Amino acid sequence: MEKIILNKNDLNTLFARLKDEYEVYGPVAKKDQYVFSMVENVEELKLDYDTTILPPKKYFHSPVQSMIQFSEISEGDQERSPLVKRALFGVHPCDVHATLSLDKVFLETYPDPYYKDLRKQTLIVALNCKKPCRNGFCASFNTGPGIDIGFDLCMTDLGDRYMISVGSEKGRDLVSGFLPAGEEEIRREKDIIDDCRDMVTRWIDTEEDLGEFLHQNFEHKVWRDVSKECLACGGCTTVCPTCYCFAVKDVVDLTIKDGKRMRFWDSCMFYEFSRVALDHVFMPEREARVKQRLYHKLAYYQQQFNVLGCVGCGRCVTACVKNIDPVMIMARIQADPCEEKEISLYKPPHKKIESDENPWMPYKAVIKDIKKQTCDVNTYTFEYLDEKIKAGYTYLNGTYNLISLFGTGESAISISSWEEMKGTFEHTVRAVGNVTKALAELKVGDVVGIRGPYGHGWPMEKMKGRNILLIAGGIGLAPLRGVVESVKNHREEYGKFEILYGARTPGGLLFTDEYEKWRQIPDTNLYLTVDEVPQGMEWNENVGVVTTLFDRISCSRENTVVITCGPDIMMKFAVLGLMKQGWSPEQIYVSLERRMGCGMKKCGNCQMGPVFVCQDGPVFQYAEIMNLPGGVF
Amino acid sequence: MSKPKLAFFKLSSCAGCQLSVLNIEPVLLDVLGAIDITYFVMAKRSNYHGPYDIGFVEGAVTSPRELEELKNIRRECNLVVAMGTCACFGGIPSIKNFTGMTQRQMEEKVYSELWDIKSIPVQGIDYYIPVDHYLRGCPIDLEEFLTLVKSLLKGVNPHFRFHSVCNECKLNENICLLVNRGKACMGSVTASGCNALCPSLGRECEGCRGPASDCNAESLAKTFSKELGLDKADIVRKFRKYAGNTSEFSKGAGDNE
Repeated sequence: MEKIILNKNDLNTLFARLKDEYEVYGPVAKKDQYVFSMVENVEELKLDYDTTILPPKKYFHSPVQSMIQFSEISEGDQERSPLVKRALFGVHPCDVHATLSLDKVFLETYPDPYYKDLRKQTLIVALNCKKPCRNGFCASFNTGPGIDIGFDLCMTDLGDRYMISVGSEKGRDLVSGFLPAGEEEIRREKDIIDDCRDMVTRWIDTEEDLGEFLHQNFEHKVWRDVSKECLACGGCTTVCPTCYCFAVKDVVDLTIKDGKRMRFWDSCMFYEFSRVALDHVFMPEREARVKQRLYHKLAYYQQQFNVLGCVGCGRCVTACVKNIDPVMIMARIQADPCEEKEISLYKPPHKKIESDENPWMPYKAVIKDIKKQTCDVNTYTFEYLDEKIKAGYTYLNGTYNLISLFGTGESAISISSWEEMKGTFEHTVRAVGNVTKALAELKVGDVVGIRGPYGHGWPMEKMKGRNILLIAGGIGLAPLRGVVESVKNHREEYGKFEILYGARTPGGLLFTDEYEKWRQIPDTNLYLTVDEVPQGMEWNENVGVVTTLFDRISCSRENTVVITCGPDIMMKFAVLGLMKQGWSPEQIYVSLERRMGCGMKKCGNCQMGPVFVCQDGPVFQYAEIMNLPGGVF
Repeated sequence: MSKPKLAFFKLSSCAGCQLSVLNIEPVLLDVLGAIDITYFVMAKRSNYHGPYDIGFVEGAVTSPRELEELKNIRRECNLVVAMGTCACFGGIPSIKNFTGMTQRQMEEKVYSELWDIKSIPVQGIDYYIPVDHYLRGCPIDLEEFLTLVKSLLKGVNPHFRFHSVCNECKLNENICLLVNRGKACMGSVTASGCNALCPSLGRECEGCRGPASDCNAESLAKTFSKELGLDKADIVRKFRKYAGNTSEFSKGAGDNE
């Protein structure tokens, strides 16, 4: 790597060169602490700072980002922020590493245009650390005190002058004319960084694979103790340089039509993080959230993106009222670990979507038909307005779209038509939340926004040549309807087909006018059940939960694939019931619901341990997820 | 749709929340373009009787007469909004619930003429009637008020998020008053939505917006006592200042010890 020497009084020259081309941001004093802020003069910079309150992440992943400006429910334009060239001056190695981690989240699949624009306009001048900060433990992960990747320029304070490493062409231009470093200076730089590393007293022992080790200690008593202390204030995640989770919200002005779709930093520590319609919360217990955060930092992030989730900057410790400290927690577990057991870490399916288009922009789709299913469920037929989009749109059974009503929000809804259907597609939607209720107010001919499809669907290929046992509850039949129709369309490719479907009452059953046709599919059985029958209603089928239909199953255990979707509690008992009867988790597929704000493995709201339900699912082979720390149901 | 009719009512309170509503001057005309303020004694001369579409109730219930008034409000309003911490939790007036005095002793302590005084323990309005929406704070936050008005006009749930003040405080890059200054800041257990107003001005949070969701007041009380050396009595007073009626802050005051 090219190394340059900069005399301390030449710092002004470098700064002036930066100023010519960039807005310069660096560490400045805020009372007795430091923050990254715009700087006009080199004197404002506090290059001996220990750490800043918020990480420089705020310049790439804005705490508040306006994404789309809209005027009507389907009329929106991408927000374009004026592209200002920025230079971040004096970024510590931990924060540079954190930026590299965020790059994977925001740029690897469905590249995020807002992050990308800010990132590519920003020059990074890193600054190696001379002495350890109070709470840092970067040396554990080799993310400090020195760095040799991820910057345009990197400075090391040699006392009387700076050594500058050149990391990019842009960086080289900025230091043109300065003298190259000699061997003696290169040695001094190394000594300074080595000395600093030696002075680091806080370490996480990473000799053992942290992911496996933590998975083995998921039930360790330290977690209960920490959860009792934790105030769930989210301070730790707000100051974390690698945390990426955000919430998406439509903010309207008083016309209640014009507004902006925005995203805000969110936190897995918040009770509302996993909240969906009807105020259902998937992670209500503090202990589950405490573990989600710390496991995400030390294990899951690695599983999800193959980069470090913790760079050891120590900000979460500094911010914590209760002094909750990953170093102390790890030391306590390592001193007294749970019994070792066989662990296999979840590996997400590999899928990478790259496109130059803004993945946040929905396409306009017109409602062609609305069909009432139950008192609060409708099936909507949609058609994209743009002929090219319409012609190119394909999806697999079991995947989903984000339905967008600008001004109200977006909602992830499974596709209830079948993958062979061309030109139009259907969604069967229960009106329970803001978006779905607003959708229920619309009429044929109205236009909404739709983006998708997202995720992995039912294993149509694997089911070929085998029997299919379909188990559904309530609205859970919607994502399975495509399977029924596909089996009908290609009957010879599949074996015996059995459908067990339950609802709370007969009035809650979906697609009732299609049952006759389904029953006529050769070698197919349809069994219905309801939890209760209102007085005076005629009902000739089974009464009881869906598992009470299990004694009617005639598919052989050996050659059958089970596909199931319904409320978590129904799937839990269905899956457990089958496994008790000897069915294997390899032959069972479940479709899960979580809060999904983006569908693109970014907002984090749908995370279930290391799993992104939005992209790794929503359909999972049960064997893949049954041993997740914290379980599934 | 015709403009929704709004009404503003006052029970036991300082009228600060109503005054805040009048402070929306920059957008007042826009708001008035969208709604019809039918009843607002503090703001206008001619007021009209119900029914109303949305009723904003400020203040806590402290007397049988107010209770009757509140029940009447519920009958007259399609939606009822508890406006401000007094209406949400009892607020400052609820301090009297924890004095250990009887109602009569209290009345004698405060008033010289007792013939028309009849008081009851102080409660937020949802102790007596169903409430559709809550605007917390002493006083309410105007942005939040506008968000609620817009949501109601649109017919959607605003989905307010009552996570802790720390989040907004950190986003403002404030120096932590508790960790770095040793002040007994209640931000970590108090619901956000105020943009960390007090801590941003160097004053510790006093918990005026009531408990945050998944509030861990016990743990913070422990810190106040063990780390900051606060007296038990001071800690109890802190947790009973605005929302002592809530089960969450009661735990901070050690009520179930």
